[in-house]
Amino acid sequence: MASLLLTVRESIRYRGRSGHYSWLAHRISGLAILFFLVIHVWDTANAYFLPQAYGWSIALFKVPFFGLGEIGVMAAVLYHAINGTRITLLDFKPEWWKYQDQSALIAWTVFAIVFIPAAIIMFNGLWGHCSELSAIGASCWTLPVYSDFADLAR
Amino acid sequence: MTTISGDAQQPITVRHVAIQTNWERYSFLFMRLSGVGLLVLAVGHMVIQHILNSSATLSIQFVAAQWSSWGWKAYDIVLLWLAIPHGVNGLRYVLSDYIHNRAAMRAVTAVLAIFVVATVIWATIGMILFDPAPFQ
Repeated sequence: MASLLLTVRESIRYRGRSGHYSWLAHRISGLAILFFLVIHVWDTANAYFLPQAYGWSIALFKVPFFGLGEIGVMAAVLYHAINGTRITLLDFKPEWWKYQDQSALIAWTVFAIVFIPAAIIMFNGLWGHCSELSAIGASCWTLPVYSDFADLAR
Repeated sequence: MTTISGDAQQPITVRHVAIQTNWERYSFLFMRLSGVGLLVLAVGHMVIQHILNSSATLSIQFVAAQWSSWGWKAYDIVLLWLAIPHGVNGLRYVLSDYIHNRAAMRAVTAVLAIFVVATVIWATIGMILFDPAPFQ
């Protein structure tokens, strides 16, 4: 626990500049993706093993809380992919190490250019889903009920 | 190995050293190679499923339509086989920064390895055996 607090405090205080922030963002985005991925894989396997649970969970993931999390996953995947490309290129091209600072900045720029339109499209989809439901007097915040998906059971 | 000279004018010294093969070196290479694969497959998956399509309209019928094709099943299986080991090996890197006891780290690695094998096998069986017919 003391080690975790030290890690969090020094991650913020450490004056490593651009390379440090890239390292931190790569690590946090990686852990976030893995957390989501494990749930996603076991949940999607339920499409075969337990279709009722699968039907219920994809309905649950339409609730805006998860919809916003989905935009977060998009951000994490895009940054991890772009920064991972930078790391891989630098690993195999040591003569480019002198561009370390610029490369970190390029990664953030490419990330912003790709992520912002993606986030707008995803947010629009979420917004449209909620407007459609409120137009018929329902709410996108309503949690699905498990027994409603009994017809999917094998 | 390559050394970088401090002066940009100087040519770069390239020394060829025989690197002893070891498990961590293959782990490093796997992270880079699977990373390149995931750059296409994982980013492609995000674009196809979350931008061109949407979770707001996702249904088991949509999944059945995709998984009625072996091409889509193969795409998802390859993605699974790259993503889970890449992600869990990354978690191992993070944990190894904080766990300094070698025996504890070996135990963690063993647990993570079992988790990778179990997850990959379970989800692969699920995808292969998934029958789209009842949902179409």
